[in-house]
Amino acid sequence: MSERVDNTNSVVPALDCQQVVKLFRRGRGLKKKVIRALAGATLVVSHGELFGLLGPNGAGKTTLVRCIATLLIPDQGTIKLFGRDVFKESLFCRQRIGLLTSGERTLYWKLSARDNLRFFAALYGLNGKKRDQRIDYLLELLGLREVANERLERYSSGMKQKVSLARAMLHDPDILLLDEPTLGLDPQFARFIRRFIKEELNREQGKTIILTTHYMDEADELCDRIAFIDRGKIVDIKTPQEYKREIPHQEVIEVRCLGQPDISSLKNLTGVEQTQSEFNNGVTVLRIVVPRAETVLSEVIERLRLEAKILEIDVKEPTLEDVFIYMTGTSLAAETGQTAETASLEE
Amino acid sequence: MMMSKRPIRQELRVIGAEFLKTMKIWFSYPIMIVFWAIFPLLWVLPFVFQGRALVGSATSEAFRLLTGSGNYLAFVLIGAMISIFVFSALWGVGNSLREETYWGTMEYIIASPTHPLVILIGKTLAEWTWSSVMVFFQALIISLFFGVQFTLAKILPVLLLVVLLMIGFYGFAIAFAGFTLLIKEVHGWVHTLEWVFFLFSPIRYPVQVNPITALVSTLIPLTWALVAIRGIILLNRTEVSLYQTVAILVVMDIILLFAGYFLFVYLEKKTRRDGTVGMH
Repeated sequence: MSERVDNTNSVVPALDCQQVVKLFRRGRGLKKKVIRALAGATLVVSHGELFGLLGPNGAGKTTLVRCIATLLIPDQGTIKLFGRDVFKESLFCRQRIGLLTSGERTLYWKLSARDNLRFFAALYGLNGKKRDQRIDYLLELLGLREVANERLERYSSGMKQKVSLARAMLHDPDILLLDEPTLGLDPQFARFIRRFIKEELNREQGKTIILTTHYMDEADELCDRIAFIDRGKIVDIKTPQEYKREIPHQEVIEVRCLGQPDISSLKNLTGVEQTQSEFNNGVTVLRIVVPRAETVLSEVIERLRLEAKILEIDVKEPTLEDVFIYMTGTSLAAETGQTAETASLEE
Repeated sequence: MMMSKRPIRQELRVIGAEFLKTMKIWFSYPIMIVFWAIFPLLWVLPFVFQGRALVGSATSEAFRLLTGSGNYLAFVLIGAMISIFVFSALWGVGNSLREETYWGTMEYIIASPTHPLVILIGKTLAEWTWSSVMVFFQALIISLFFGVQFTLAKILPVLLLVVLLMIGFYGFAIAFAGFTLLIKEVHGWVHTLEWVFFLFSPIRYPVQVNPITALVSTLIPLTWALVAIRGIILLNRTEVSLYQTVAILVVMDIILLFAGYFLFVYLEKKTRRDGTVGMH
């Protein structure tokens, strides 16, 4: 395996995309259209970060991932991986990228999982005992050892996706590009893949991960930071919590407690807009509506502890979907969103 | 795009891995193995029946005047045998990247540190091996049933000519593979090329029968190789004509290999610029 990048004390970001523009020219003559798939996308990802690209279909997520993976050559802009230009030093960069795309047809179905992995290992310069040990380790890690010598055509979609994940990790890359990794998978496999990405790849192995998805729950659950992408542009980059705080939205503090506490004192707290209580089977469920829960939460707990035994506290936040709609006016479920222009406008 | 170099040993391992992968995929279709096992036998019969029906015997005087040998069956069978190499290169190598696209694996090859040309060399090797097995059995049939003698003195120069012919032709096939990445269509083009070769090179008939085909055929390496190979096998030609053919084929090889390489690199880059690598 090639030399590894030192991730520990480096000030160079893992990934640095600056003003990336990608145009697709479709059709001919008068029907010619230029589609602006990326319109100056800029983002910087730190080492070990699990970074999400969230946006509706056609927003430019996959195009950006393909540019980073060198599958597409952008019309403008630069993409640097660990400080190196992915197109000028493609061998260095490709050796450090692990790619996983959506869809189950990305492997040789007539070959076994082991034979598939052996072939792709050769492309990354792995061979001999080291290769076989790495393949055994990955098959074990992903629970595929028992079926490793069976042809992929007999595998379920989820199992094929596990083999794809093993392929992405074969050469122990520093950065993983995961494009819609759970798309079309049944909930059980999707849950496994999500947990594997977060716990094994990100936490245990410290990989930098770029995850594209249009499942807001997935992005919310997994990502340290999320870039909202719409019509080829990065709209904003924040943590999921920061996003939710951004919009003028009410939050609801929901408290379950034993007994029937007196809540009149809560109504006088600054910022509390509304209180509501419901008593059932010895348990009171209190709902306190506030602009920002964090400003009153500790005071609410203090006062309630004097009145009753608190069983559970939950703060209902706006979802990422709400934030995305607020910021872009577009739903994540929408088909968007590239900008189609006539050829004459572009050229 | 700049691709700094990797050790040659690593590239050789990729070629080996591609060879193994191609073979395993072929052998995963048992019906194909049965077909290819009986193909060398079935392939001969139409030529024999067609020749007999046209001439009424195993030799033709008119044919002798054009080619120097009256054994038209041997003439046609040698042409068909050598053309197996040529067409399998077109189908096998030219179509191979299209297959990867259908399998959904093309993007993973392009995104890896291995240049797709190395993959094509592996596919070429697999194709070459397969074709050689086919041609070996065909040569055996020709030798047993049509009285054509393959002595070592004949086999060695013929092998040299076949190797030289195929080096250039694989250059052409590599360019064609790049072309298929762009146009997303193979069958129509390969069939067209097949008919161009059938018309303008002496696979099935002596091109001297028509001045235009005779002239155009000189631009195709297959013509030079076939004339020399038939000369060696059927007419025991002198070494002088072999040297001349070798020189011509070497020049054509150099041109075709360089043209094939640069065209492929250009077309592969254009495909990535157009964003159509994974498209069918």
